[in-house]
Amino acid sequence: MRRPLSFEPDMYLLEHDAKQLLARHGIAVPDGRLIERDETIYRPALPAGQWVVKGQIASGGRGKAGIIRKAYTLQDITDHVDAILGAIVNGHQVQSVRIEQQVIGYDEAYVGLLLDATAGSVRVIMSARGGVEVEALPPEDIRSASAAPDAAALAACVRRVAAQFAGSVGSALREAGEKLARVFLEREALLIEINPLFVRPDGQWLAGDAKFVTDDNALERQPEIRELLERRAAAYPEAALKLDHGFDFVVVDPQGELGLLTTGAGLSMMLIDELRAAGLKPYNFLDIRTGGLRGETTRLVSVLSWIAAGPCVRAVLVNIFAGITDLGEFSKLLVSALQQVPRLRVPVVARLVGNGLPAARDVLAQAGVTLYTDLDEAVAEVRKHLKTNAQD
Amino acid sequence: MINPRIDRNTRVIVQGISGRAGKLHSRLMKEYGTNIVGGISPKMEVKEINGIPLFPDCAAAVKATAASACVSLVGAMQLLGAMQEAVAAGIRYIVTPTEGMPVHDALKAQHLVREKGVIWIGASTPGMAIPGIVKLGFLPDDSLQPGALGLMSKSGTLSYEAGYRLAQAGVGTSVWIGVGGDPVKGTRYADLVPFYAADEQTRALLIIGEIGGREEEDFAAALNAHRFTKPVFALIAGRTAPEGVAMGHAGALIHGSHGTYAAKRAALEAAGAAVFGSLNEMVQGVCARLR
Repeated sequence: MRRPLSFEPDMYLLEHDAKQLLARHGIAVPDGRLIERDETIYRPALPAGQWVVKGQIASGGRGKAGIIRKAYTLQDITDHVDAILGAIVNGHQVQSVRIEQQVIGYDEAYVGLLLDATAGSVRVIMSARGGVEVEALPPEDIRSASAAPDAAALAACVRRVAAQFAGSVGSALREAGEKLARVFLEREALLIEINPLFVRPDGQWLAGDAKFVTDDNALERQPEIRELLERRAAAYPEAALKLDHGFDFVVVDPQGELGLLTTGAGLSMMLIDELRAAGLKPYNFLDIRTGGLRGETTRLVSVLSWIAAGPCVRAVLVNIFAGITDLGEFSKLLVSALQQVPRLRVPVVARLVGNGLPAARDVLAQAGVTLYTDLDEAVAEVRKHLKTNAQD
Repeated sequence: MINPRIDRNTRVIVQGISGRAGKLHSRLMKEYGTNIVGGISPKMEVKEINGIPLFPDCAAAVKATAASACVSLVGAMQLLGAMQEAVAAGIRYIVTPTEGMPVHDALKAQHLVREKGVIWIGASTPGMAIPGIVKLGFLPDDSLQPGALGLMSKSGTLSYEAGYRLAQAGVGTSVWIGVGGDPVKGTRYADLVPFYAADEQTRALLIIGEIGGREEEDFAAALNAHRFTKPVFALIAGRTAPEGVAMGHAGALIHGSHGTYAAKRAALEAAGAAVFGSLNEMVQGVCARLR
């Protein structure tokens, strides 16, 4: 249930996509190539030198999970790609690998820019010791400061923090930090982290790894990022859903028995908590946003077919607390949508509160949907169906 | 101190009044008793909507009506501009129900309202209400009953459900503020602790929260800092949600163990709040203390 959480990141770009984006903004990255399927790898297609084979998932902890491996021969590469592609790490399946030039003989530093929602500012974090997880570093090795989210303030903040580091590392942190600050504001990032930032004694630098978290609310005016997400829709399923449909649906338990047709992120989350506490197994989280139905069944039909795809789903609970939505109209749409998804042959129990209840009662009764206004009674009814089916 | 109290004399304008939501909610707010004195509609195709006179921009509306509050019902991409216009026109209180405001826009809006001393409730908020008197936003009348319980909520629908059940159980609300579900926002729970402490109509306080972020933790710290003595209740959604992807290492560095159900519960209980994981328990708990 990642999407409904207000704090949680929106789109965490794959390293390869993050690096492509950063490279377009003048940030140097090691030469690399993306492999998306089992294919014969030819040397001329590879970057020069020795390599690192890096599994691409939208999550951290890749090194620990063993999906970042060094390669010295073509055979190494083939072996690593075979082992990494398709592996499941932190709940994500590796669908692609980046074969990247190994960077040897550089120092490793750290630079991160983060939107600090509590303070309402952008936090700049730097360290001369990169390559390890930054929270594992002793606090005295970390320097940070916050700035208002405008170009001049942020650039000044970057220079101030970088000035606390001497020599080539200091100048590399300043240069990289200034470029990242521009990208951060122009591309409306929530987080950019370069760890390690490879630094050569002469001050030349390269982004060894890149984390980039985008704001999905800004995608409409960020065509460059939108294009990255759409090009690799399979790697960003929730982004694709949001872009295509404009609402949130998350399978919370693939073996779940109870499909949920609900609106409101908070209420849907609370309902899942209460159902689980009562020993039931909800299949999905949904914030369908009844206000966005606009008199059409499209959204309901999509949701009902996704619920129908749950292999263990044996009942559907509809829970709508309608402040404004007309329940009579909603019920007509629901019944019509149910008819359009004949595959969903399970009992449907509805709990509705709000305007237009008498009309809703008539419409739903004709379609064989039981209606309650009390949530506990509706859940008791659902429980009966789940028990009956289990005995079949 | 932020004082979110308004009354039936507060003059309110509605930005985006000619849209679908604007037409509907300007009517519902007016019917509830809110003193809607104008609507903003740059095209001015008609002279009034729901009997509310239209103006081409905020400056003209404020000049003609002396409005001090504003409800913005414009699209997410237009919201920052609408807020800037309202603040420039002298509006002192802005409620923004719009969902999906880009985070960088919210940061800019936050800097603006702090600099000018304007109250901003939102974004992604169902609004605010003083039940029986006035409402700004979408809060459903069924959930609004006058009473002595202060209520703040991140989530819209969960608060409707909670308010509805409390009303059925005979517990009404003094001042209801939907702080909204966005990470960067105008008013956070903690900001309103001094107000609820001082407000004479409020005998107890309920917050409706959810996992993620650190607002509940900061609220708990504010209760301690202000030596808040009224009973405090909290309903937190997401107890059984699987953990999401952490916001990179830098995020963990800043937020630490904040954001989980356990961390929120512990912080709130340490500050003396009664924490509930289900609606029924919450209603029973509140009734036991308040009735």
